[in-house]
Amino acid sequence: MRGNDVKRYGLLALALLFVGIYLFPLYWMYVTALKSNSEIFAIPPTFWPRDPQWIVMDVWQRMKMDVYLRNSLIIAFGVTVIVTMTGTGCAYVLARIRNRWMDAVLFTVLMMQVLPSSLMITPIFVVFNQVGLSEYPRLSVILAQAAKVLPLYIVLCRATFLQVPKELEEAARVDGNSRVGAFLTIIVPLARNGILVTSVLIFLQSFGEYVYSRSLITQRALQPATVGLQSFMGPNSSDWAGVMTYSAIYVTPILIVFVLLQRQIVSGLTSGALK
Amino acid sequence: MTYQIELENINKYYGGYHALRDISLGIEPGEFVALVGPSGCGKSTLLRTIAGLEGISGGTLRIAGETVNDRAPRERDLAMVFQSYALYPHMTVRRNLTYSMRLKRRSKADMERSVEEIARITGLESLLDRYPRELSGGQRQRVAMGRAIIREPKAFLFDEPLSNLDAALRVHMRSEVRQLHNRLNATSVYVTHDQIEAMTMADRVVVMRAGVVEQMGAPLDLYDRPCNRFVAGFIGSPAMNFVDGIIREDGVSVRLDLPGEAVLRFAGARPAGETVTVGFRPEHLSVTMAATGGNILSLPVGFVERTGSTSYVLSSTTPEILLSVPERFPKEQGSVNAQIAPELVHLFSKEDGTALL
Repeated sequence: MRGNDVKRYGLLALALLFVGIYLFPLYWMYVTALKSNSEIFAIPPTFWPRDPQWIVMDVWQRMKMDVYLRNSLIIAFGVTVIVTMTGTGCAYVLARIRNRWMDAVLFTVLMMQVLPSSLMITPIFVVFNQVGLSEYPRLSVILAQAAKVLPLYIVLCRATFLQVPKELEEAARVDGNSRVGAFLTIIVPLARNGILVTSVLIFLQSFGEYVYSRSLITQRALQPATVGLQSFMGPNSSDWAGVMTYSAIYVTPILIVFVLLQRQIVSGLTSGALK
Repeated sequence: MTYQIELENINKYYGGYHALRDISLGIEPGEFVALVGPSGCGKSTLLRTIAGLEGISGGTLRIAGETVNDRAPRERDLAMVFQSYALYPHMTVRRNLTYSMRLKRRSKADMERSVEEIARITGLESLLDRYPRELSGGQRQRVAMGRAIIREPKAFLFDEPLSNLDAALRVHMRSEVRQLHNRLNATSVYVTHDQIEAMTMADRVVVMRAGVVEQMGAPLDLYDRPCNRFVAGFIGSPAMNFVDGIIREDGVSVRLDLPGEAVLRFAGARPAGETVTVGFRPEHLSVTMAATGGNILSLPVGFVERTGSTSYVLSSTTPEILLSVPERFPKEQGSVNAQIAPELVHLFSKEDGTALL
């Protein structure tokens, strides 16, 4: 019994230690946002601001964050819509049809996920320029980012569809529905949780997209918040409190969504979306 | 005579694998046909082919006289009950029952009436607004049946619908399904691996093995006159005993490959010296006091199982011979004399297992 207790508390302490390590940067962001410029560079560093300052409104207005965040939302929303529209059916087919060719397709899909944005951006830029998409920079970012996260969506959604028993679809087809009808009235409602969770993940990932936006959008008014953050970085600027405040404003809504949905996200990613 | 379901030389390949071989079968309106066989014999594939869930590689499939080879499942007007029941988990019992009617855009009043009738037949009245997950196995089974009945289809297809139920409920549902079939005057195709289910429920049993129909006929015909060794061993429980033997000079008796030179007379005649497989059912061996006389096997007792009503006596010979004795057999008895009527002795070819009598 005692040995068990020791083991349990030991593991708990270890878990807390790791959580601490993981969360430290987040904590440091919030704390730095509240510090004055001199305190930020104080040695030894202070772990709680001596003289907290609240510059949220100032940063919001100075940086025109409403424009940036709106652009981020437009891009994230656009990507999510395109990905769910095109990826759901694909994921379902990959879940249902099992043969060597489908394995090859799945492998190819996964391979596309491997290529980094920074590598893809040059050919994408050239192509988009040629077809005239650079006239619509946000749309081109949406398309590029959708292509980037589509494999992830397909792989995760496929896992959800694998859990929906095939007989349900067959029963619906014998009962008088078409394949598409059975998919929409039986399979999709049952896989709803998985689809929703994966869409949220895609949304959040696109909300934080940087490489494509940085390269494809030159007009400031169309840039998302990730790119806007960069404008803090001048040759002679060191407004760390401003940077951290900006980051906190940007990250906090995401964190809240994650915390609210964490149980569904975790269960959706592991298993048991059904039953 | 138009068949309700007619299969003509149905063939089915999965890549290079020949899953169904030249299956021809006519099912009359109102008939209850059971497809039975060991797992992997193609019985489920055949059922799914009829339903349209699997394509046909060759042959013709007709439902009510119309060729339906290339029709989608929904155009065939069949109802299917799945082994897993396949109830839609996100719909209440009521919505599960009316799924097909809603697809056909039937009127609300119409649906209400049907649901009420089906609920009465299947005893689901109090469960209509529950979800499948809130039901017991037997109740789910009833919903699955109800969902099929409400369609008033051209035929019912059952894919091992009782195998997920516990033993007592299974026996009960067996008679219930059969009664339902009689009441609806429906045509049913019933797939099962349980030969007792097939024997008790069906008008006609189709025994399949490795994609081939081995024999079809009335249940008792299969029991009395199996056309080959496989059917003989598959139908009947406990399974038939098989012993090798050689036909004697007289041509009407066979010497068994058992210690003691046992000889059995059979009804019929075979050429002398032919090597055969002799089959006889455990329940046809009756214990007798006489040590000599007609058709008596003297067997050393190896093991006795007593179930109360019946004792199973297993001999210590190779191959083992099983006797089914309808009384309490003393455990300590060392040997047993068993007698069998000549007309209950089966002979099968040693090469291909076909029945020789």
